[in-house]
Amino acid sequence: MNETKNDLLQLPNLERQPFEPRALKSILLSTITIICAVLACVPLFSVLVMLIYRGGSRISLELFTALPPTAFQFDGGGISNAIIGTLFMVGIAALITIPFGVLAAIYLAELGPYSKVATIARFSAKTMSGLPSIIAGVFAYAIMVITMGGYSAWAGGVALAVLMLPTILLTAEETIKMVPKRMKEAAFGMGCTPSQSMTKVVLPMALPGIITGVVLAVARAAGETAPLLFTAIFSEYALEPNDPTASLAVLIYNYSNSTSENQLELAWAASLVLVVLVFILNMVSRWIGSRTRK
Amino acid sequence: MKVRKFITIAAVSLALTVAGSSAFAGKVKLVGSGASFPYPIYSTWFSQFSKANSGIQVNYQSKGSGAGIRDFLNGVVDFAASDAAMKEEEMAKVKDGVQLLPMTAGEVVLAYNLKGVKDLKLSRKAYTGIFLGKVKTWNDPLIADANPGMKLPATPITVVARADSSGTTYVLTKHLSAISPEFAEKVGVAKQPSWPTDINMIKSPKNAGVNASIKRATGAIGYTEYAYARMAKLNMVSLENKEGSYVAPGLTGGQAALANVEIPENMIAWVSDPAGKDSYPIATYTWMIFHKKYADAGKARVLRKMVNYCLDNGQAIADQMGYIPLPANVIAQVKVAAENIK
Repeated sequence: MNETKNDLLQLPNLERQPFEPRALKSILLSTITIICAVLACVPLFSVLVMLIYRGGSRISLELFTALPPTAFQFDGGGISNAIIGTLFMVGIAALITIPFGVLAAIYLAELGPYSKVATIARFSAKTMSGLPSIIAGVFAYAIMVITMGGYSAWAGGVALAVLMLPTILLTAEETIKMVPKRMKEAAFGMGCTPSQSMTKVVLPMALPGIITGVVLAVARAAGETAPLLFTAIFSEYALEPNDPTASLAVLIYNYSNSTSENQLELAWAASLVLVVLVFILNMVSRWIGSRTRK
Repeated sequence: MKVRKFITIAAVSLALTVAGSSAFAGKVKLVGSGASFPYPIYSTWFSQFSKANSGIQVNYQSKGSGAGIRDFLNGVVDFAASDAAMKEEEMAKVKDGVQLLPMTAGEVVLAYNLKGVKDLKLSRKAYTGIFLGKVKTWNDPLIADANPGMKLPATPITVVARADSSGTTYVLTKHLSAISPEFAEKVGVAKQPSWPTDINMIKSPKNAGVNASIKRATGAIGYTEYAYARMAKLNMVSLENKEGSYVAPGLTGGQAALANVEIPENMIAWVSDPAGKDSYPIATYTWMIFHKKYADAGKARVLRKMVNYCLDNGQAIADQMGYIPLPANVIAQVKVAAENIK
């Protein structure tokens, strides 16, 4: 009895002492991490403040309904065709990549995860996710623009699809893999065929995760300039999918170097619109993602 | 399940947009790309032309002369535009024949950004020296000699050049090569020359990019079309011409430079070093490039109509936009040549 009590007494004092070296160290390190965390927010907020300051004055109904001004039109004009063009081309890209990506992901996650095809496909998707976006543009220029004989929204959509595919494929694969094995076994136990278990159990479970991946891919594609420069270039006119098509990203690229004050202001306003759009998409993806965990 | 509904709605609305837009299929739509030099005036002409003719829509994108010619050779545009005209071997690649038409003219100006220095004059030696990388600071004696009494700072000179394949660069290097054998030997005439390596240089895309770079960097000087520099409110240099007088860029100097140019049958004429006391030394025509034969006869007709609109209504606004209107005899010549577009 006595012996144990003595042992306890010899233990160091574990209570926190304010000016002990380790307490100071802890405070110092915590402060540094807090500062870094705050600094990490600075770029986003300074960009937002700058965009609202420079572009906010142009936010009006005209911005969303009018067509862009020429270099010698000193006031007025809007970016309606660029907003519609961006939505349209991202829409085409999503229509191509969602079925493609999700079906491929089902194969990678469920049907033949260790097959040679799956290994190669996974490897190429991972490599493609780091593909410089301009390469996607050159690719689409070669297979779409030259063969179709002109710039078009379709070609822009294909270029964006090349960029979106790996993100969608890889996130879909991960989420499908995360569906608990017990659920699948239960489905089989109740007499489901493999395709029934896939469509009635696995995919509905994985849906929020897949959608998160899609929304993130869409948000990235909406801001891409380089692939569109080669495929859709730009247009001062309303959307016509077989012709050159305006997009927010290319409008910003073109007008940010303009000598016309009016076009410069529009570039700021378009940046604000694009950032808000991407911001909303990110919020949506977080909201959908948060529903999975419940 | 809400999500599924959302996807359905998105797909349906996308399909409707596609269906709706193909309803305009009756329109004649022309696409062109190329030179940034005349972009401000071309885009104005085309938007006015499209407004005046409800069934027609002309879309012109500024990409640089080199990119325009490449688009034309790849057959992805209906017409192109270039300030460097087109090389013989490039024309030989086009099966249906090529018709170049000068549509307007302009001046290449040297614009600069130097606080407190206005109405700068540069002698031929000074400005070739700058582009050869020999004149390195703003208080160089070669600059000071032509500007007596002007307070020039010791700021280093930053030269702003074009990053892309550019007709404006072609016109500038053609002029510099004509007046300086050393420049002809070291750099030569090119849309994308290899500049001397020891030059303090920034490269920017297109005319608009060069103007933006000059505006940003103190001590910068660059070459650009007059209209752009005027719109950007940059200071421009008065250049020494062949007769030794200093001429500021503007309509009179440009018209004088082009006054004595004979346009040959292929419509390509250069003025690398114009004579005449009032001539501004770096002026050029700029061309639109067409096929001689279009598979779609309706398209060819609209292209001819467009050319005529630019020649008739377009020239009237050239001056106020910073371009040189074509002389009457040239307009007549271009109208005849435009009939080759079939």
